Amino acid sequence: MMYAVLHPPNFFAQAAAMQRPELRKRPFAVFDGEVPKEFVFAANKGARARGVEPGMSRLQAESCNVTMIRRDVACEEVALTSLHEIVCRFSPRIESVAERSGTYALDIRGMNTIFGDAIQLATKLRQSVMTVGLLANVGVAENFHVAGCLAWGRAGVSVAPIGCEADALGGLPLSVLPLASEHAEIFKAWGIHSCAELAALAETDLISRLGQVGKKLHALACGTLPHLMMPVEASFESGLVERMELDCPVDDLERLLFILSRMTTTLLERVRTKARAIASIRILLTLDSTARHERTVRPALPLQDTPTLLKLMQLDLEAHPPSAAIVAVELHAQSAPPYRAQHGLFLPQAPEPGQTEVLLARLRKLLGEDRVGSPELTDDYRPNAFRMAPFHPLASQRNELRSPSVSVALRVNRPPQVISVQLVNERSVRMYWNSVAYVVREAAGPERISGQWWTETHWCREEWDVRLTAEATERLCRIAFDPRSRCWYVQGTYD
Amino acid sequence: MGATSAIRIQVEATLAQRVPAALTLKIKQAPELFSTGMAEVDAMLGGGIPRSSITEVSGTASTGKTSFALSTLANVTQLGHACAWVDVNDALSPESAAATGVDLRRLLWLRMSAERKLKLTDKPWSWLEQALRATDLLLQTGGFAAIVLDMSDVLPQHTMRIPLATWYRFRLAAEHARSALVFLTQSPCASSCAALALRCDTALVKPFSEHGETPLFEQQQYRLVRERNRNEGSPFQQKKPIGRVNWSAETQWTRCG
Repeated sequence: MMYAVLHPPNFFAQAAAMQRPELRKRPFAVFDGEVPKEFVFAANKGARARGVEPGMSRLQAESCNVTMIRRDVACEEVALTSLHEIVCRFSPRIESVAERSGTYALDIRGMNTIFGDAIQLATKLRQSVMTVGLLANVGVAENFHVAGCLAWGRAGVSVAPIGCEADALGGLPLSVLPLASEHAEIFKAWGIHSCAELAALAETDLISRLGQVGKKLHALACGTLPHLMMPVEASFESGLVERMELDCPVDDLERLLFILSRMTTTLLERVRTKARAIASIRILLTLDSTARHERTVRPALPLQDTPTLLKLMQLDLEAHPPSAAIVAVELHAQSAPPYRAQHGLFLPQAPEPGQTEVLLARLRKLLGEDRVGSPELTDDYRPNAFRMAPFHPLASQRNELRSPSVSVALRVNRPPQVISVQLVNERSVRMYWNSVAYVVREAAGPERISGQWWTETHWCREEWDVRLTAEATERLCRIAFDPRSRCWYVQGTYD
Repeated sequence: MGATSAIRIQVEATLAQRVPAALTLKIKQAPELFSTGMAEVDAMLGGGIPRSSITEVSGTASTGKTSFALSTLANVTQLGHACAWVDVNDALSPESAAATGVDLRRLLWLRMSAERKLKLTDKPWSWLEQALRATDLLLQTGGFAAIVLDMSDVLPQHTMRIPLATWYRFRLAAEHARSALVFLTQSPCASSCAALALRCDTALVKPFSEHGETPLFEQQQYRLVRERNRNEGSPFQQKKPIGRVNWSAETQWTRCG
């Protein structure tokens, strides 16, 4: 493997000068931080010659008669983006070197057919960087660290021939190695100033004095320290996109499903390579009227099968159809770890998650959005207050045993039905409901309830439990009187 | 005896290609039962309502059909199973269900929409058709241990219009999905497709209590009559159970006390 390391020296100063070329011929320093703790963050060669060093306070730097400019992170990002784009043109496998800003390592194996030999490639790379206004050193070697040291230690293009890495590094000062300050002091005391001098030391002696750090530094100086390349890859999630433009507008959902099926399968194949599943799919339809129709299908659990996802998309699009014919389709998927369940012979019965999703979508289409789900009691004093929650059967577990007695169930009339009630001495004696006259045999009540009296939606009513008879039938009902509207209602029937 | 056995084995061996075990008595498997949560009713039913079959509970209003069904569902959900309630008239009270002990998180409630009737023809038949289609979907998907099709407020003339083939299909689907399918109706309509047919009546009319200043509705007595039980002839049942039983249900406020 051959590595080319691109290193723009003094990157932050160069990035600052990129937007203001007139600064290049003047000594300047980049400062950062809040007043009064502003400090010098970077300085160009001219400023350093006047004694400005990173870490100095702003006042100290200004006394050296240099131009002071504030650090601009946006400029640095622009410079980094430019560098990234350039190196991507020279190799598909690149690694960003975290220790030194703006430094990239390229795997250039096999690139000679396009860019020529290593020297030609390095020269072209350097020239490309110079076109965007940055100066950079390029080091080429078979060993990653050797290429890096050459880029950091030598200006221009440096190439270490294969097998001569130690010789190429020999003349470089120890400062090109990642030395801790204590070790730099030790080597200075020993009179070791170059990589060749460090490589000449006996490895065992170095380990006995410096430990494992000594071994690593010795291998670095010899150009033999291995490196595992971690190439920069595009975000997996951002790549989960499928687009298709149609030759002619499609207004039939059936025909669109063929396209969606193919695109979903492709997305699933891509997702499966990472052992993941699709958690949601965003469908973007470009319509003939240049409008866009957007729907998101989000199954309760990540899915890995095309038919289920396709069915969910079909049901969703049938429930919310686009307003015009479709000219382009775009699918954006979001991945998640797949759902895994431990089944057992003796576990309670529950529907399969994937099938449940399709079932619920079908039922919603048949009955309506808010007519399918699990009832959930709300914290409200109003009788029969509830909301519809999504149906997600819990993990199988048995609950505690309930009390042995059975509760009388009320069958609710939604909405409550208006009735006529005949009163004698303020007691109901007869009731007319659905054209049937009932005699009130017994009545229990009233139970006066009210709520929300502090808002405009306040409610109050008097409720009665009544036993009614008509001919041979008898029924137990809960009736209510609304004092505001002076109306009687049947709330429900006990059954 | 030995000669008879030999002849039987010989006949079975000859017919083995066409009819396996032609002369051997097929042992009927004991049906899996779900307890109703009421000891006296379970005793009458031989343990509860059968799974993988249709149970039809019929009766007029205020005869305890809904209380019976909710009590059964409470037991089923507390065993950890998922259940469904297909509500033709949108009459289920979640408060009553919770008070009976139904785990609402395991209950899928399908409400035939009152709003949608405007789009459909303004007849109960449309809601019933929706309910039948929804039940069909539930059975085809499977995974629900109990499904209640609540047609309590549908008039008998409408339920009688449902083709018998629908009930046969439901019976097979329930068997395949291992679901206990419970119908709540005003009069029996599933005929021979129901493995268990029960009729609900009001038992003793117990007057409202007069303990306090005002009368209070505290409890109701119901009667359950077993019309048909296909599992009665099972060799696993030692004696024929009784045919009718009385049971009582209490109101929420007396249970809290």
